[in-house]
Amino acid sequence: MTEIGAKVTNILGAVARDGAVRAGRGLSGLVGQEISIHVPNVRMGTKGDACDAVGGEEAVVLGAYLGMSGDIEGHVMLLFPERRALECVDLMYGEPVGTTTEPDDLAMSAVAELGNIVGSAFVNALADHVRLILHPSPPTVVHDMAIALVETIYAEILSRGSEVVMIDTIFEDPNGKTAGLLIVAPDPLCIARIEELAA
Amino acid sequence: MTAPVGEGRRTAVGIGQVAVTKDPSAVLVAYGLGSCVGVTMFDPAARVVGMVHVLLPHCEGKEAGPNEPGRYADSGLDALVARMSELGARKSRIIVKAAGGASVLGAANAEKFKIGARNAEAIKERLRHHSLRLAAEDLGGTRGRTMEVHCATGRTFVRTAASVPNEL
Repeated sequence: MTEIGAKVTNILGAVARDGAVRAGRGLSGLVGQEISIHVPNVRMGTKGDACDAVGGEEAVVLGAYLGMSGDIEGHVMLLFPERRALECVDLMYGEPVGTTTEPDDLAMSAVAELGNIVGSAFVNALADHVRLILHPSPPTVVHDMAIALVETIYAEILSRGSEVVMIDTIFEDPNGKTAGLLIVAPDPLCIARIEELAA
Repeated sequence: MTAPVGEGRRTAVGIGQVAVTKDPSAVLVAYGLGSCVGVTMFDPAARVVGMVHVLLPHCEGKEAGPNEPGRYADSGLDALVARMSELGARKSRIIVKAAGGASVLGAANAEKFKIGARNAEAIKERLRHHSLRLAAEDLGGTRGRTMEVHCATGRTFVRTAASVPNEL
């Protein structure tokens, strides 16, 4: 990795940690008990890397998508292997992990709210770090094969020539923990802005 | 109709790839087509089968690159037709099928993410350029699809996440 590339990753790491703190606070407030969010790893990745991180190309994943608009545009997607998403739903409802076994309406609603909190927290943290005005869209629940979702984001950003940022995201409460992947595909202008700040 | 699971030698045709074969044991598979479109071609007389996995609609003068000749609908279909012809296929006999082009991020984002619809339209446009037409299609919608073609028969199957395959 180039020096500038390492600095960009460092800035994105700081954004992710800040976003995780904000999201943990929001989520804990929503569910009425402490849920902490950790982001141990932030990296730039290919579509294949993103799929591998959630179980493989054909793995059925559940999560939420948010668009990012304002001074720049981008995409944010929180993805879990289906079972992991249901574990996160259990954390949100204060149930022992493994209680929710089907992605029913209640589970989908919880995933939408989870995506809203985590995605918005990241977008707001990014906006503060790069000093741009950014607005997250309302969340859309996604439930499909991993590659179908990742490829759509990839196609969208490829027409602009950018890469995706992958943030491993761990959710933890006293009852247990589970992990997902936050994929952020910013406008190339956003990366350029971060490079400016990193220089 | 359900595809015989596990039958044949399965070859994944990744994003941007073009595959053509006369091997009757081969099964060409495009996994998880979202906004991408998979196109299969089969010449029953020459027993040639091909598949392209298209990512974007138009090359607009850009080179697709040697590893991704099927990246764009226009140049990708040109490459597939050329390679089918090299193995003895004739356009007049080729049966074409297509699947994918979905808006997997939901109907609410379909207007924003037009890539799937634009891919599907670009495929049809390029097929007209080659005087080919779709014999069957499963395009659009909001679900990702996996598409496969069996080289021995040209039979093509499509399935969505956790569903059984349907013959196209």
